[in-house]
Amino acid sequence: MAQTQTLALVEEIESLVSDKLQVVSYKWLSRNYMISSNEAKRLLQEFVEKHDGGLEVVYALSGWLKGSHPSYHIRLVTGPKLAEAQQEFDGNCSIQVYSVQASIPKDPAVLWNAEFIQAEELFKQPWSVDNCLRDNRFCGISSSFVQRNVDGMPVVAATPLTKASVGIGQTKMNVLQPQKNIAHDTIPRADLKSEDVVKDVKSESNGTGSTGVHDQVNKPSEDKEKVVPAGKKKAQSDKSGSSTGGSLASFWGRASAKPKPSSVPVESSNTVSNHNVATEDAQASAREADGSGDDDNQDVTVRRSSNRKRRVVFDLSDEDEDVVSLSSPELPKKQSSQDSKQKDNKSSEKATLNSDTKRENKPMAKEEKSSDKKANQPFQEELSVINKCTNNGKSSSEKPQSCAPDISVNKDSTKNAAPGSPKRRKVMKTRIDERGREVTEVVWEGEETEAKKADKVATKKSENNVSTNSVNSSSGPATKKTPAVANTTGKGSKKTVNKDPKQGNILSFFKRV
Amino acid sequence: MGMDSEKNSLCRLQCSYASLDEAFEIGKETYRGQQYSQIYFARLHLMRTLLYSLVSQWKPQTPVCTVLGLEQGKECVIVGTLYKHMKLKPCILDEYSKERSAVPLVRPHNFMHDDDYLVLEDESGRVKLGGDLISPSVFVTGIVVALHGKETGAGDFSVLEVLEAGLPPQIEFPLKSREDKYIVLVSGLNVGSSDSNPLQLQLFIDHITGHLGDEKEQSIASQIVHVVIAGNSIGIPRGLVNGQNLASKDLSRIAEPIKELDILLNQIAAGLPLDIMPGPNDPANFSLPQQPLHRCLFPGSAAYNTFRSCTNPHSFEIDNIRFLGTSGQNVDDLEKYSDAKDKLEFMERTLRWRHLAPTAPNTLGCYPYTDSDPFFIESCPHVYFVGNQDKYESRVIKGSEGQFVRLISVPKFSESGVAVVVNLRDLECHALSFGTQFSS
Repeated sequence: MAQTQTLALVEEIESLVSDKLQVVSYKWLSRNYMISSNEAKRLLQEFVEKHDGGLEVVYALSGWLKGSHPSYHIRLVTGPKLAEAQQEFDGNCSIQVYSVQASIPKDPAVLWNAEFIQAEELFKQPWSVDNCLRDNRFCGISSSFVQRNVDGMPVVAATPLTKASVGIGQTKMNVLQPQKNIAHDTIPRADLKSEDVVKDVKSESNGTGSTGVHDQVNKPSEDKEKVVPAGKKKAQSDKSGSSTGGSLASFWGRASAKPKPSSVPVESSNTVSNHNVATEDAQASAREADGSGDDDNQDVTVRRSSNRKRRVVFDLSDEDEDVVSLSSPELPKKQSSQDSKQKDNKSSEKATLNSDTKRENKPMAKEEKSSDKKANQPFQEELSVINKCTNNGKSSSEKPQSCAPDISVNKDSTKNAAPGSPKRRKVMKTRIDERGREVTEVVWEGEETEAKKADKVATKKSENNVSTNSVNSSSGPATKKTPAVANTTGKGSKKTVNKDPKQGNILSFFKRV
Repeated sequence: MGMDSEKNSLCRLQCSYASLDEAFEIGKETYRGQQYSQIYFARLHLMRTLLYSLVSQWKPQTPVCTVLGLEQGKECVIVGTLYKHMKLKPCILDEYSKERSAVPLVRPHNFMHDDDYLVLEDESGRVKLGGDLISPSVFVTGIVVALHGKETGAGDFSVLEVLEAGLPPQIEFPLKSREDKYIVLVSGLNVGSSDSNPLQLQLFIDHITGHLGDEKEQSIASQIVHVVIAGNSIGIPRGLVNGQNLASKDLSRIAEPIKELDILLNQIAAGLPLDIMPGPNDPANFSLPQQPLHRCLFPGSAAYNTFRSCTNPHSFEIDNIRFLGTSGQNVDDLEKYSDAKDKLEFMERTLRWRHLAPTAPNTLGCYPYTDSDPFFIESCPHVYFVGNQDKYESRVIKGSEGQFVRLISVPKFSESGVAVVVNLRDLECHALSFGTQFSS
């Protein structure tokens, strides 16, 4: 390591310890500055030698103990007790600086906290990132036979990760998390259906969520431009399961909002991990983009067609985009396999959906657009999920109904998009999982007005849907759903009218659990 | 394989690993409402054939007869399952008895009493055992033995000699001198419980993965080829899992320890092969053999090819050295119903009885197998370990046919900070202890 680097780091350590009162252990140092553990220990040793006073040092002693039966002992001691502790060892024991901190805490476990928080963040990074936690790159021993299977469960794993973040609440990526939550909340519903479909939904929502978040956070477009190529490259090179780079490129070209990952670095304190996260989000988005071209996503896109139903109402016309066109042809085919009645709706929806998605995907630098896209995509996914659930055995009438709230929400989003106010997007996003109808309860500003609008729209929509439902009139088990739309858990729990958006939703039960 | 002593490029040694857990997996068994008579019958059958062959060498002249065929005063050999009648053993009916006896309902530690007596049972009948040579404090219900003695006038069977099955045959220990390779056994991590010290555990992980220590220490650590975690890895507060519905904030309290454990196991699995066994406090099934912890519990760690979730009991072979271990339930149960000078003696007894958990299903939860008894030890292990014990102890025992077994009692790491390291070259083992107390 260059002398200058060493000096710079030593100074940083000083500031961390004395100003921020942080415990700097060698492990934390190595992961933070991407140096090997041995380097980090050496660095700490230098630091201790340079700054003699005012700081507490914890040493790690290791060696064989004196005693009848052989025992290898490793222990941590504070500076003053070093000599005394050395006596316990039989012969030489190795002494290394374990950590430096401003003061010794009463509970030794406090020393471990900073390290663990760092480990936790590394752990939460998206699945395909090979960070220093996951490949143990900074230890002194190389184990070439260790393999980590990323392809096996890339998306499924994303769920527990994101769910963890959901559960834990606001982490450092606080702004981002809620967005992600919104998108991911659709996942529980997806669980009702086949796994690969779920995966797709998840991946989509994952990507959507991240892009959405980024959209929100990142205003300047230059960053986007910057990140887009970077993200693209990374996505193409790093992603293990990425499909055609071509579709990725096209997706990137269209999605101006995608390069939001740069916003992530802003949030996170660790520059390095920012990098990772940024690329990760880009990758996630890219993955999603790729996914749209995959066969798997056809399922999702199929569901999107059900979203289209609502689209009909909105009838937003936007320019076409390749991404959308990718999905549209598949939708009709899939639809044919589903309930015929739904097909009608779907086909009608498809058109509008296409237009909507296209609109969304249009690389407009405006946030609202991107947010609309985000909104729509989660909606679509939600719909697809719901549809899957319904496909499980529910009457088709459920679908329209379930679509209704989403449609209304979408409508809101699209309408809102027109005026260009970003607030609405957020509202809808958060409530996507809850049938969209409960958009009202979003955290973000401007939600009240939108919420109300959404409500009105929702009810309106539901009425419309009722009529369409009657037209569709599913087969026997057609539960007479009122516009309020029951829950679509796919388990047959059809609820009756539920016009009150504040009322509990059975899906929320599943989501929470 | 091989160790590079180059600066900064130590390579971890590797070993061959074969899991022998198939017998302990309940994949193919079906439950049709059966009770436990079948597993006892299977056990008796299995061991009786074995004992008959041994009896012919042990007492060639003495006839073997069934319990019903006993004649008074005639010396013979009987083979059957032991049953120990214990006065203090908790019985559900005691709770409903009209008069509560002076004895308290349950005494947690040991249910032995001077009035306990043994009964031998085979398919034809049972007979009470008498005589001084057989001590009830040593035996427990569920062991199959052969007894030489004669029936007394009182109807008891007076025992002259006892024949246990003895150590099973052992595959040959690979004797060619090799380099030192170590396997680390640890148990009782209790991640998430208030009395576990995460700093200690982190030191352990740092040491075995090669972060901690100087070059010499890291080169020792690079010789560690395998880690086995023998149960009780998660310490969820007991009050939460009492069957009540949980508030959402409690849900995260249950999930947090498992997530923390996953991050820790991730760090280990990224460096070397890892086996994790379920224990009595882990989120696994209760009855033995406990099935492997589900992969979904460890989303981060399960992605590694080095991560293996194993059954309890766990049997595997590393470099042709056979290991057998449990998370402690079998020995803890023996301790409640019999007496020995230390845990290693219990372990030795189970080996000599050729049965891992003789008290199952009597007092130890067990799956009602219908045609086999998976706890029967067919081949003698080279290393036999039991986890979640109070302290680290180890001993070598020898069998009559030249078998030798290293017995290891692995202590709870959260309490003692001690893990056990076994050298595969000669089966020597030593303790690996960690200390983090600052105020000495």
